[in-house]
Amino acid sequence: MKRPIFWVLAVAILAVLMILGVSWGTVPLTPRAVLAALAGHGDRNAIEIVRALRLPRVALAALVGAGLGVSGAALQGSLRNALAEPYLLGVSGGAAVGAVIGVALGFSSAIALPLFAFAGAAAAIATAILIARAAGGRADPRVLLMAGVIIGAFANAAIMVVLSGAPANTMRSALWWMMGSAAAADWPQVAWLAGYTVLAGGALLWFSRDIDILALGEESATALGVDAERAGRRVFLVSSLLAAATVAAAGLVGFVGLVVPHLVRAAGIRRHRALLPGAALAGASLVVLADLVARVAHPPAELPLGAVTALVGVPFFLVQLRRLS
Amino acid sequence: MPATTELLFAIGAGPRVVGRTPWDLWSDSARRVADVGVGLRPNIEAVLARRPDLVLLYATGENRAAAQALRAAGVAVIALRIDRVEDFRRAARLIGMATGDSARAAAVVDSVDRTLARVRSRTAGLPRPTVFWHVWDAPIITIARGSFLDELLTIAGGRNIYEDLSQPSPQVSLEDIVRRDPDVILAGPDGAARIRASATWRSVRAVREGHVLVVDTSLIGHPSVRMGEAATVLAHLLHPAVVQ
Repeated sequence: MKRPIFWVLAVAILAVLMILGVSWGTVPLTPRAVLAALAGHGDRNAIEIVRALRLPRVALAALVGAGLGVSGAALQGSLRNALAEPYLLGVSGGAAVGAVIGVALGFSSAIALPLFAFAGAAAAIATAILIARAAGGRADPRVLLMAGVIIGAFANAAIMVVLSGAPANTMRSALWWMMGSAAAADWPQVAWLAGYTVLAGGALLWFSRDIDILALGEESATALGVDAERAGRRVFLVSSLLAAATVAAAGLVGFVGLVVPHLVRAAGIRRHRALLPGAALAGASLVVLADLVARVAHPPAELPLGAVTALVGVPFFLVQLRRLS
Repeated sequence: MPATTELLFAIGAGPRVVGRTPWDLWSDSARRVADVGVGLRPNIEAVLARRPDLVLLYATGENRAAAQALRAAGVAVIALRIDRVEDFRRAARLIGMATGDSARAAAVVDSVDRTLARVRSRTAGLPRPTVFWHVWDAPIITIARGSFLDELLTIAGGRNIYEDLSQPSPQVSLEDIVRRDPDVILAGPDGAARIRASATWRSVRAVREGHVLVVDTSLIGHPSVRMGEAATVLAHLLHPAVVQ
């Protein structure tokens, strides 16, 4: 695929999916009613549905997807591992432990929960880097990935321990959160996540040359005068925090960070300066679509967002695994 | 579980109760009974350590193994599922027979039924506000036709916006609640506080207009001997001028 065609397509697909996301939902509305509601005319309930529920929700889904896509692309490049992504590296798990502890302690508000998630993600990042240091003396990418898987397992165990005595509704809440959902999206949350996505995404874009060099391998990096360990750690830290921000906003949405960079690379885009924005666009499209499926598949109930992305992601993971071996 | 423990104390079998779950907090004398842990996938050892002759279990697939293990240990087990008011009547008769308190069990059922009938007649001619019953918010869980709470709501002179769904407590979406446009929202104290503080819940008319009513979840929530009292409280919430 020619590069310009990719960009036009990526933007067009995202735009179409976002329009679909605003016009479609549990409640059927005609296109005319949606337009009127957007302009603030017509039925009050339709206005609320479109402006207060669907718009922030589509925006949040797009940001979660963009964040996970960029995070996954940066991690895959810097770790030189085609299977790397925040979910598999334990970062999302760490964030989830933090959030579940928050829920178990009775802090289920939109303000308190993200703080717990951040604390958990930060603890997971620190532990992963410590384990990697202790095991290899240097931040070996493979040891780091293994440490991530171990931390993910530990995170699951910790969640089960915290929840063992919890009442049924708390359990249901925590499990719901662990499967991801954009259902509770509101504008402050969108603004908050947008800030993180722009800051962390911008930082990663700033590091994109480093990621290109890291992707060539540590020896080449040293030959090119880049401190591979420091550069790698920096990228790992920023992408982890970006992933934690998405977890805080919408819970655990797995496999987006895995699938999306592969799709963009398949379009012939390799340099991270282009790969990262490409992954942001494709990730946003994927999660907006997944959220739409989650909303309309089984009304009036909703499916967990993470379950929808996992249904797409797991077969994709297996295909990648076969290609590697 | 709370419903059966309340029933046991109401029919006079309280002094013979040797174990309960952490949620069985009514009446005060029930609190003094040893807590043997949760009622779903219960800890068999902790239950057997209390040397019961009879164990009342919540009837669900998760408890099938526990029921088998207890029966194998020589303990009588009654597995009960109390979703509707009629299930409560049946459970009361069954437990009364098992504990030898049949007459008192029948009296308790009669008293609940009389109170329910009184509330029903009080609200009979009144306009019925449509109600969304908030159980939980992530995901959003409500009460539908399969639950005794839906029955109590009808008796108390309200109309559940989800009376068309057959499950006891289905998951629904906020968008759908906006469309069904309830006049009133019923929620527990914590849930009501979260709803009032939330930006997204403001898209529901009842929230904007301040019609979020707080229910006492320790009274209303167990399909048991206090259902009559619960219906009275609900009727008073929905029709304060008419029902005292």
